[in-house]
Amino acid sequence: MIRDFVYFTPKTVEEALALLSQYREESKIIAGGQSLLILMRQGLITPQYLIDIKGISSLDYINLDAKEGLKIGALTTHRAVETCPVIGNGFSVLADMEQKLASVETRNWGTIGGNLCHADPAGDPAPVLIALDGKLKMTSLSGERIMVIEEFSKDYFETVLQADEMLSEIQVPIQPPHTGTAYAKFTLIEGDMAIVGTAVSITLNSKDRTCNDARIVLGAVAPIPMRAKNAEKVLVGKKIEDDLLEKAAQVASEEARPIADIHASEEYRRELVRVLVKRVGGEALERAKGA
Amino acid sequence: MPEYSVIGKRLPRVDAKDKVTGRAKYTADLELPGMLWGKLVRSSYPHARILNIDTRQAERLPGVKAVTTGKDFGSYKRGWNQDEEPLAVERVRYIGEGIAAVAAIDEDTAEEAAKLVKVDYEELPGCFDVFEAMKDGAPLVHDNCPNNICFELHWHFGDVDMAFEESYLVREDRFKIPNVAGGYIEPSAILANWDASDKVTVWASEALPHFLWMTIVDLYKLPMNHVRVIQPIHGANFGGSKAGNMDNCNWAAVMLAKNAGKPVKIVQTMEEQLAVALRRHKMYIDIKTGVNRDGLLQAIQTKVVADGGAYSALSPLVLHYTGAQMGLPYELPNFKTDMYCVFTNTPSSSVHRGMGVFESRFAADVQMDMIADELGIDPLEMRLRNAIDPPKPGSIYETINQLHVATCGIKECLEKTAKAVDWKERIGAKKVDGNIAWGMGIAASAFPSGVKHGGHSSCAAIIRICEDGSVNLLTGATDVGQGSDTIICQIAAEVLGIALEDIEIRRVDSAVTPVDPGSFGSRVTVFAGQATQRAAEDAKRQLLEFAAKQFGAKPQDIDSKDKKVFVKTNAEKSMPWLDLVRMACYSTSGAVIIGRGYSTSDIIIAHESIELFTKGTGDLGVNYSFATQESEVEVDMETGVVSCVDSTIAKDAGRPLNPNSVETQSIGGSLQGLGEALYEDFIMDNGKTLNPTFLDYKKPTSYDAPMTKVIHVITDDPNGPFGAKEAAEATMTTAAPSIISALHDATGIWIKELPATPEKVWKALKEKPRK
Amino acid sequence: MKKELKLTVNAKPYELAVEPRTLLVEVLRNELGLTGTKLACSSGSCAACTVLVNGKAVKSCSILALQANGKNILTIEGLANGANLHPLQKSFVKNHGFACGYCTPGMILSAKALLDENSNPTEREVRQAISMHLCRCGTYPKIVKSILDAAKMIEGD
Repeated sequence: MIRDFVYFTPKTVEEALALLSQYREESKIIAGGQSLLILMRQGLITPQYLIDIKGISSLDYINLDAKEGLKIGALTTHRAVETCPVIGNGFSVLADMEQKLASVETRNWGTIGGNLCHADPAGDPAPVLIALDGKLKMTSLSGERIMVIEEFSKDYFETVLQADEMLSEIQVPIQPPHTGTAYAKFTLIEGDMAIVGTAVSITLNSKDRTCNDARIVLGAVAPIPMRAKNAEKVLVGKKIEDDLLEKAAQVASEEARPIADIHASEEYRRELVRVLVKRVGGEALERAKGA
Repeated sequence: MPEYSVIGKRLPRVDAKDKVTGRAKYTADLELPGMLWGKLVRSSYPHARILNIDTRQAERLPGVKAVTTGKDFGSYKRGWNQDEEPLAVERVRYIGEGIAAVAAIDEDTAEEAAKLVKVDYEELPGCFDVFEAMKDGAPLVHDNCPNNICFELHWHFGDVDMAFEESYLVREDRFKIPNVAGGYIEPSAILANWDASDKVTVWASEALPHFLWMTIVDLYKLPMNHVRVIQPIHGANFGGSKAGNMDNCNWAAVMLAKNAGKPVKIVQTMEEQLAVALRRHKMYIDIKTGVNRDGLLQAIQTKVVADGGAYSALSPLVLHYTGAQMGLPYELPNFKTDMYCVFTNTPSSSVHRGMGVFESRFAADVQMDMIADELGIDPLEMRLRNAIDPPKPGSIYETINQLHVATCGIKECLEKTAKAVDWKERIGAKKVDGNIAWGMGIAASAFPSGVKHGGHSSCAAIIRICEDGSVNLLTGATDVGQGSDTIICQIAAEVLGIALEDIEIRRVDSAVTPVDPGSFGSRVTVFAGQATQRAAEDAKRQLLEFAAKQFGAKPQDIDSKDKKVFVKTNAEKSMPWLDLVRMACYSTSGAVIIGRGYSTSDIIIAHESIELFTKGTGDLGVNYSFATQESEVEVDMETGVVSCVDSTIAKDAGRPLNPNSVETQSIGGSLQGLGEALYEDFIMDNGKTLNPTFLDYKKPTSYDAPMTKVIHVITDDPNGPFGAKEAAEATMTTAAPSIISALHDATGIWIKELPATPEKVWKALKEKPRK
Repeated sequence: MKKELKLTVNAKPYELAVEPRTLLVEVLRNELGLTGTKLACSSGSCAACTVLVNGKAVKSCSILALQANGKNILTIEGLANGANLHPLQKSFVKNHGFACGYCTPGMILSAKALLDENSNPTEREVRQAISMHLCRCGTYPKIVKSILDAAKMIEGD
């Protein structure tokens, strides 16, 4: 049973922000609500005021600019990200990721911004966006701020958003030349939530093909999506061969902070990190070579 | 081979149009004027004394119209041991057990009121593990059951000790089967109405509406004709796991309707359902098998310990099946077993699709592969050597425990499968490519069709011929989704010589339709089919007597087929079906043509006699279906993920009365088996179910179901209507051993504890000694 | 406090007043009596409640009714053209693409959304389109065949 609430449907960002600043902690924003409504039904979240921003069409867009990169409005549905031709232009890893996210029904209604704000450590978009060095634009009546996505999640289901603030845009820079990014997740049944998710981005030096930059991001193995920075260091500056990738994978599995639950032990999750970093890293490398 | 017009045809189901248009009404879809919503108050402790139940606050909540607690039901008890109260009075024995219930004007108010019922408990120590529970000094779940033994059976046929001594190879293993869910997605629901003249009407998502009818009659001491149980379209069941008289909600709804004087509907949430609905037993099977040099079975000895949960329910039947089906489909000359069902403070287990056979075939068929592996015998060849031969027409094969098999297509199933999948070529193929290993496996099984219990066990049917030639079939048969309505309509149409569209079925309504115990033990096609066949023959006989007068021939020389009635020896003499019906009804005596029939069986049924039941001899059903399944898997050698990529079933369903239905049933059974092989397991922590949602209880989806092929093996069993046997439960029991066998073929590991989760497989691969 | 809700369901306009916490599935089943939309898991994990909102498959248990305000909704009851079944319905009938039938309405509607976007899907694409739909009777192979056959039927028209 969902507890009663007062319901608002602001038509503009300004209206939404005014409501947010008025009701603050007593309110909750709903976008697609694909996760929120389940929590509300279970009584885990009981807002007095529900601000439904799904109808704010100005936050539903995907734009690509040769300089500024990709900009995705927070209320863009997963399905739009998955199928938008623009995404295929250098950011196809986002479409790959979306295809693995839940089901078509969820992607049709759920939004990419809503997913990020839900801050489930097993969520799919965050690791990929972090690997792509993405940023988030947050808006409140007092102005805007932009931060790297890596710093957005604070803890399980918790973000840095202030009570009067909302996420408005996801920004992904144009990737450097010779960059390849890939994502995969391990699930118990296909299309399920990640037991371990892994996104890897590799940028190669155009001359000697050594690794200029590497970003390895792990999902579902820590309270927030985490960079495997020690593993990244193994790769940077070196020519990536299978052995090196194996070593990075091993390091990543050691620095991951997984917990045991009913679905997998800690030991098994670490092993999955090792396998996924090796496989996804390999795929990212192939893409980087081809880019 | 007989020529049929309707039988054996791939006809659409009679419920198809209602189901694809959304017109099919399930119990949760029903509503009555003034209807209230009921909600259960459930135990939050696995084992506790109930000190006090205070319902006053709930009763004061506006909108609440009735409350009930266990005291309303007097001393009524239910279950095999008569150990379970409709609602718990003094003691709760598992988390989620019903204690009280409320009825209110809407669902939300009912939910709120249920939370306001205050229960004071004194927590008691509990039992959560069968082996701990069996120890002296363990807390007792039921005070009158020492060592928490719910039920035990001890059988010995032949002489296993001598056979083991003479065996060339003897192997001992322990297999473990977990607690799993029925997992049907229709919410369990009941709508009950108790009117001012004490007439009760109940609609329930219930596979055994007859039992529900009888228990209401029994509890409230009402005449049977004052209680009416209707089964709406039913969203699956899988083996009577919702067996009506076992569900707290069914009891509560009727009592609330009585107390409120208004109709009451209870729809369980999926979480309630998964947390408390009857499950497959968690079972440990220690199995010792001896074979000769050629791999022929000499003896099997088992020790079975089943976790029955908190109450006896129908656990003894499951235990019986587990033992009785240890041999089939193979020749087994010596067999000994000791079986125990043990109480724990967990939700009860009971009959579940493939009951007992799933468990015993998993243990015995996987172990057969282990033995074949040791002896260097091909798994398919091993089964061919041990499988029983088809009995010659008219003769009967008798197993060591006196099961009687009139027809058996197991060897044909094995041979046709071997050919269809190119077994000999492909079993030796390359197994590993990169991280992926491929393997194939086979399993064989048998399942009784037409199980009989004590009490009223027959099915009956009424065929009413309308004056315009259309026909009503009145049946108590319970189609829980398997398609039996269509099958019995096909039988009626075939006998009468008319089309399927001419038959309109009137489904379970205890006020109108004839008696029928329900859908369990793969009995509907066999028993309700036989009843329908006889009812149709009875109606047809009456009609043909009129035709005989018209044609000046003997009734036995006349037949009807494809809507034509004709003299068999003289094709000139014929008339349309409709003309004959009109003639019978209007122009001669003004007859009313109503045919009736009921099923009978001369075969000794174990459950009919407690003596035979205890001894373990005698048949479980009227005939036995056989099936083989070949499964092919791909195994990710790094992560342990097992995917079933292809599968071929060969099925001896006697005669497939509608091949589409038999395929849907066989494939469906095997997919549920796949779920149990790879994913399904209730994860428990001191009596608490940790995964009572479809998010956490993993089960197969569209990605997991290979385009399984079904080969029909026709054996025309003399004890089934038009030769039929059951269609789904045998393949429910072949999937797991065939997948585990394929997993071994791919990787060399054996998984003896289901499910073969990625982590379990990964661990086994890691521990496997490298060659 | 109740709020006004305007919906077009199966081409029929409705004006209702609902509590904001009401889910779309509750309006369809309880207010409009369209019980062909099935409620099962209530946790967004079985897809039995799928309907089409502006042509897209959505789980009606996972959206507030008011979020569908002004939208066009198709439920299973609106799929056939009078007595003339939709090709998907015909194909499910012919191929036995169901057993108990509880998942069937949602299954067929997601299949319709797929075929509207992609008239010639592969087997894999069909499986993806119904990946969350739970069919415990295990009729997936028959469902996949029903959908692939329906695609051919529609193409052939």
